Amino acid sequence: MGSARSDAAGTGGSDADASMLAAHKILIAGGFGAGKTTLVSAISEVRPLLTEERLSSAGAGLDNLRGVAGKTTTTVAMDFGRITISERLVLYLFGVPGQERFWFMWDELAYGALGAVVLADVRRLRDCFPSVNYFETRSLPFVVAINCFDDAPKYDPEEVRIALDLDPAVPALLCDARQLSSVKNVLTTLVESLSAGTQAERRMVSALPPV
Amino acid sequence: MPAGDGREGKDRKWVRRDSGPVVRPYAVTGGRTEPADGEVLDLIAVVVAVGRGGGATDDPIRLTPEHRKILRLCERPMTVADIASDTALPVGVVRVLLADLIMQDAVRVVRNRPAVQLPGNDVLKEILNGLRAL
Repeated sequence: MGSARSDAAGTGGSDADASMLAAHKILIAGGFGAGKTTLVSAISEVRPLLTEERLSSAGAGLDNLRGVAGKTTTTVAMDFGRITISERLVLYLFGVPGQERFWFMWDELAYGALGAVVLADVRRLRDCFPSVNYFETRSLPFVVAINCFDDAPKYDPEEVRIALDLDPAVPALLCDARQLSSVKNVLTTLVESLSAGTQAERRMVSALPPV
Repeated sequence: MPAGDGREGKDRKWVRRDSGPVVRPYAVTGGRTEPADGEVLDLIAVVVAVGRGGGATDDPIRLTPEHRKILRLCERPMTVADIASDTALPVGVVRVLLADLIMQDAVRVVRNRPAVQLPGNDVLKEILNGLRAL
């Protein structure tokens, strides 16, 4: 897997470089098949990231534990992209597993994140409800990006906004997760909404660090 | 379980590269699942090797090949996520191994948790410009 990398993070290993590397993260959420992997790979080199997670009761009935009663962890693969903004500034995209049994991973991922993109598929809009709810209750700034699948009916973003009952400060826009320019537009919309301050106030300040 | 030798063919076919590692993840930590210092590093915590790689020769815990691999990667500032991805080790395993290195002063944490406060407008602007330039 991608090991030889020559980008980013300065050239030497000096302490000066160390103190200058800033990493930020944006979460990419949405239902299964909404295009998270596509979006991350459209704008960055996507690499798998394995997380060995404790099995929680959320997996009961889903994770078949027959014969592996002693198994307490499971491996979850996450999409992970890295965008080198400058030598000292790196932006990470984490495609968060949408299934509800992975909720326990979200708090850690969301902690300190700049914000999130919720990818919506108008054919299965309800799949993104949990993500929207999560970011709303956590006051994490987010945008809703409606992924325009070729065979999906076209809706106005405003209709989607109403269907999702979005806060007026939350941008909703159309996108094509395969296109770099479109994905750029989604991410810049998110970051712009942060600096405009409209969503900045939503930002969580009380989130507990994950255990 | 007949192992290898002349039976390379059918019996072993199921173990392919995409089958993932055949060693249980926490085998490389000696079964430890918690970082020795109790500190859970964030996915984008930045760590860096202290000194020029050689530092940890008098190691009390004996460095495994995985420790050394991580140490090499940390010759320049790296995030936990990058280390995990580059070593193809699960994040939890990387945290345990990093804690060992940190406790030996072979690696130090430059920045653990990202700031809860939003970065300043200058940083946001830099991110915006960077994104637009892609």
